[in-house]
Amino acid sequence: MGGVQIADVSVDTETGQVKINKMVAAQDCGLIIDMKTAESQCYGALIMGITYALFEEKIMDRTTGRMLNNNMEFYKLAGIGDIGELVVHMMTGPGYDERGTIGLGEPPVISPGAAISNAVANAIGVRVPTLPLTPDKVLAALEKGGAA
Amino acid sequence: MQAFEYARPTTTEETIKLLNGAKGDTQVLAGGTDLVSLMKDGISKPARVVSLQHVKELRGITFTAAKGLRLGATATFEEVMENADVRKHYPAIVQAIEGVTSPQIRNTGTVGGDLCQRPRCWYYRAGFGLLATQNGKALVPDGDNRYHAILGNSGPAYFVSPSSLAPILMALDARVKLHGPQGPRELAVQDFFVSPKSEQESEHALEAGEILTEVLVPPPSNVKMAVYEVRQREALDWPLAAAAVVLHMDGGSVKSARVVLGHVAPTPWPSPEAEAPLAGQAISEEVAWSAGKAALAKATPLSKNSYKVQLARVAVKRALLRAAKGEA
Repeated sequence: MGGVQIADVSVDTETGQVKINKMVAAQDCGLIIDMKTAESQCYGALIMGITYALFEEKIMDRTTGRMLNNNMEFYKLAGIGDIGELVVHMMTGPGYDERGTIGLGEPPVISPGAAISNAVANAIGVRVPTLPLTPDKVLAALEKGGAA
Repeated sequence: MQAFEYARPTTTEETIKLLNGAKGDTQVLAGGTDLVSLMKDGISKPARVVSLQHVKELRGITFTAAKGLRLGATATFEEVMENADVRKHYPAIVQAIEGVTSPQIRNTGTVGGDLCQRPRCWYYRAGFGLLATQNGKALVPDGDNRYHAILGNSGPAYFVSPSSLAPILMALDARVKLHGPQGPRELAVQDFFVSPKSEQESEHALEAGEILTEVLVPPPSNVKMAVYEVRQREALDWPLAAAAVVLHMDGGSVKSARVVLGHVAPTPWPSPEAEAPLAGQAISEEVAWSAGKAALAKATPLSKNSYKVQLARVAVKRALLRAAKGEA
């Protein structure tokens, strides 16, 4: 199975905010039984991928051992304004269909983190080494020598 | 959530009586966007909840050129931002409300509730008290303080004031009217917010059994104003830093300025350091940036929130540029 994802992002170099403009996923999963379901799986994967690339983080307190963001307020998830334009293209036809059905549960959620990180590095000229790409980390990376 | 008595008065006087007559803690319910979550988390355990929804005199929005704006305590965010007078004379109040990016909260959240809501500090919300301590030791300085204060944070309070409206109301020299067992009184918004020194104190100047009844904003004359918030998400998210500015203009240049920061200190944070150098200047990118830097010159970030210093500088700069672009 194969797939490619491409991210188009904007980075506010004064605040470290990363904004997704557009993401494209081209995905193979052999013979597709129901196109709508397959596409929906990929849209969901892109949204959850954007969410883990930019926001999701389990924050634990070292002193008390408690999780500090065990709520929907600070365990941040992307909203509709955060995901940009999403395009999904399923690979079908000769060469794909005859391979039979293959699962699509996880494959499309693997690439977004890499695609978005690469897009951010391309935009600011320096890598932000860990996810999520939060403003503090993006600003720290820029300070180290990004070309704004 | 534990069981509680629910009261539904129709006048301010009746409300005050109900607040003082209960055994145990009483809480005021307006939109409920904060109180209900505090009760669900077991942080607030009132014996009696007094709803303000049916107290007519606490509602409403009125504007006159002579007296300015009166916002009733239970006017909702949505009512305020849709009000033609507010839109015309106080565009920055609308901008502040636009920062609350949830239509559900704008429909139920109220002006009084925004000013009286409790801090979002995750130690407070996890039950470690307003000053976030365990065995007498403050948890914030050595803990995860990425969203905590960068100014006014020498302790014991480290949380940030969560109010969306307070910075711009303070910059507009607004006043709040309070009503309690001793009758009504008035305070400058600036004096309504205090940094608590002990766990028994609160971050508001409300006496026991006292409620906020209305907000009075003076009429604007020849001013430009704006609010700018830095948030990580477009979806509902607390600002990482915010700034409200009101520029009293003299032709194309600033006669005097008010700059108030939000989400950076236990109270909304007025910045005379940013205001002074703006006098006599026309707002340019350079002038706005130096005001931003001046506002944060005395910042004392904690172990994990030095990035907020930069965000607050940018908020001041962008608020100034936004105000300068707006109509006088």
